[in-house]
Amino acid sequence: MKLARVVGTVVSTIKSPIFEGRALLLCDLVEPSGEASGGYLIAVDTVGAGAGELVLILDEGTSARQIVGEKHGPLRTVVVGIVDEVAGPASVAKAKAPASAKVHAKPAAKPKPPAKAAGPASAIAPGTRRSRTSRRASAG
Amino acid sequence: MQLARVIGTVVATVKAPGLDGVRLLIVQPLTRDLEPAGTAVVAADAVHMAGAGELVYIVAAREAAEAMVDRFVPVDHAIVGIVDAVEPIRGGGR
Repeated sequence: MKLARVVGTVVSTIKSPIFEGRALLLCDLVEPSGEASGGYLIAVDTVGAGAGELVLILDEGTSARQIVGEKHGPLRTVVVGIVDEVAGPASVAKAKAPASAKVHAKPAAKPKPPAKAAGPASAIAPGTRRSRTSRRASAG
Repeated sequence: MQLARVIGTVVATVKAPGLDGVRLLIVQPLTRDLEPAGTAVVAADAVHMAGAGELVYIVAAREAAEAMVDRFVPVDHAIVGIVDAVEPIRGGGR
């Protein structure tokens, strides 16, 4: 599985039937430290991942189809988890700040949301606050 | 899955069994900023609608054959969707 950050959505009308009714997320692959590693994947969401969130991506077809409950179809890449925290030496290898450098996704974002960006829980709106949190975290 | 741009077609009269009726297109894989990345590949058109210049997404490996009507065809890249829009998420790292 791979670590990635949700940076966008792919809108598509004409597609293979297995993608009907499923959200396609554009995800930047990231290092354990949270830095982008250069690559990206388009993945089908199975966990309700939102914008800017650090996620776990599974890039293997048989497992992916098992998760969505389909036997066949060109589905290979799925978001299978939302990462709360990456701990250990790998997560701080490149980070400057000490304790706060841990990559937080969900828990850290919780306290602030009502102030701004109280928009719909769509894949697009919540990203603003999530990534602001991430930036704040990495800034120390 | 990766973003790609359709840049051509391939016509082959002599081909492996199973490829009859399969539309073969040349696609250029793209970065998420829609810049060309790597070499172009020949992909089967599983949506039957991809045209020249169109932005599509492709799937590679075994799943490419899964996209076809007959799932046991010698295909390793397939176009599985046509992109209407790639919507960046503000502050999401772009």
